Amino acid sequence: MSRRHARDAGVAADALLDIGSLRRYTECNSAMPMAKRPHIRKFLSAVRARRRGLIEIGEFLLFAAIAAVVVAIGTNNLQYNWQWFRVPRYLFTTGPDGLRAGVLLQGLVVTIQISGLGLVLAAFFGLVTALFRLSRSFTANAVAQIYLEAVRNTPLLIQLFLIYFVVAPIVGLSPFWSAVLALSLFEGAYASEIMRGAIVSIPRHQWESCHSLGLTSTDTYRFVVLPQAIRRILPPLTGQAVSLVKDSALVSTIAIYDLTMAGSATVSNTFLTFEIWFTVAAIYLLLNGVLSLLSHLLERRFEVVT
Amino acid sequence: MSRRIPVEPDHIISVRGITKNYPGGIQAIREITMDVHRREVVCVIGPSGSGKSTFLRCLNGLEQIDAGTIIVDGIPLDGNRRHRDEIRREVGMVFQSFNLFPHMTVRRNICLAQKRVRGKSDEEAFAVTHALLRRVGIEEKTDAFPSQLSGGQQQRVAIARALAMNPKVMLFDEATSALDPEMIGEVLAVMRDLALEGMTMVVVTHEMGFAREVADRIVFMDEGVIVEEGEADEFFDAPREERTKAFLSKIL
Ligand SMILES: Nc1ncnc2c1ncn2[C@@H]1O[C@H](COP(=O)(O)OP(=O)(O)OP(=O)(O)O)[C@@H](O)[C@H]1O
Ligand SMILES: [Mg+2]
Repeated sequence: MSRRHARDAGVAADALLDIGSLRRYTECNSAMPMAKRPHIRKFLSAVRARRRGLIEIGEFLLFAAIAAVVVAIGTNNLQYNWQWFRVPRYLFTTGPDGLRAGVLLQGLVVTIQISGLGLVLAAFFGLVTALFRLSRSFTANAVAQIYLEAVRNTPLLIQLFLIYFVVAPIVGLSPFWSAVLALSLFEGAYASEIMRGAIVSIPRHQWESCHSLGLTSTDTYRFVVLPQAIRRILPPLTGQAVSLVKDSALVSTIAIYDLTMAGSATVSNTFLTFEIWFTVAAIYLLLNGVLSLLSHLLERRFEVVT
Repeated sequence: MSRRIPVEPDHIISVRGITKNYPGGIQAIREITMDVHRREVVCVIGPSGSGKSTFLRCLNGLEQIDAGTIIVDGIPLDGNRRHRDEIRREVGMVFQSFNLFPHMTVRRNICLAQKRVRGKSDEEAFAVTHALLRRVGIEEKTDAFPSQLSGGQQQRVAIARALAMNPKVMLFDEATSALDPEMIGEVLAVMRDLALEGMTMVVVTHEMGFAREVADRIVFMDEGVIVEEGEADEFFDAPREERTKAFLSKIL
């Protein structure tokens, strides 16, 4: 109930400047006295939220301006010679066959590949670990517990090195897949806690009605528990996915030409230190922005009608 | 198909000396013995905490018993998972809190187990679903979500969902206790029809009027044991035990 109201209020607040629709909104909700209308109160608080949003954008712009001035003064003192015009060629190059990705964008593609595959595998490891921890088998519990403790109490960089220098030669893993494996094992451990929490939060009576209908445990998970849990998993899991993208910068240490590696190489070739690192940071920012947007769309898709 | 245990052929449920303890030393039910005949309607009544729900939940293995035996339609409800699953397919249950699947439409709620457990096709499952929804009087809600229904409508969907499995026995645990007064009637009407059609039912209820009218037999429980049981009119008109008299005088 409250979710729909909150959404209604948001829509209405969007239409704030459109007086006609505002009147329509209030008219169709005017059955109750003003003070007792929870959606009116929600609406007002949404308006306030939007206003707060505007103020915050203003504050942000002010802050950005100050930061720009500080950087400008600082680089002036350093006598830094800004050469932004040299940056685009590391994003795109024009050759005989038209526009092509420059080194930075090639690095971005590798980062996206590693993060994407890492995300899928992390979700898999997370789910399996969560189910292991929820199962009654002692072995499954022990395996999951050891994995979690090991991953959470050692640095990711060391895990990456262990997989790259020790595991990979033994089982014949490429650097690329070593990176994917290390990242997904790491994020999977955190994802599993999120998933376990969400699964446990599904009320016990949902299980009981499945059992009383004769559904197997697998079907109960597949059709009843997980579809409900995913709604609660998605928001915190987005945070985890963003971490994964950021942590993927570490793979540059095992000679993988990802975005960070590409940036670092470009800087040492061109000495465009400030411009390139600003550009690389902006690309990461953009990538994670897109990720959050995607997860928002997914959340809608799994919304339970209330 | 598992080997069936020879019991009195007329007994669909046969309970012998079952005991259930909860952690913390709570003896929820103690050495209960009881049979349910085919096509019989048994109403279980008793004060709060007397073990009625626990008893019902033992009958389809939602709770594991600590002692005694339960045989349903010739299949023992022992440690064997196959036996337990087979019994659950034959026993429908309706809960006080409806327990519909909130993320599915009414139709999917009712179709899920038909398809996954009974292996029915979409068309078969749809046909059964529509027939059942008509029977409980809410055809027009086929594509609604549970949260868009009133409590009484939700409970009727829950009944339809259990019936869709074509069960041999239906268990009701206070199916009307969570309902607003004006909705109790519509659910009781469905249950009454079901009883008239010859469904075997074990009904935990606080609706004494319904129990008297519909039940073949009343079972009165207190503190985990069956204190008294008897044919409905006889039970209400001439209770024998002091505890029964005290209980009835409080609620009637
Ligand atoms: N999961 C549980 N864990 C521990 N104790 C429980 C549990 N479920 C029930 N009990 C206890 O077992 C006893 C019987 O409970 P039960 O729910 O079977 O009673 P009831 O007759 O159905 O009561 P009501 O009319 O209130 O539903 C009570 O003392 C109760 O506190
Ligand atoms: Mg109860």
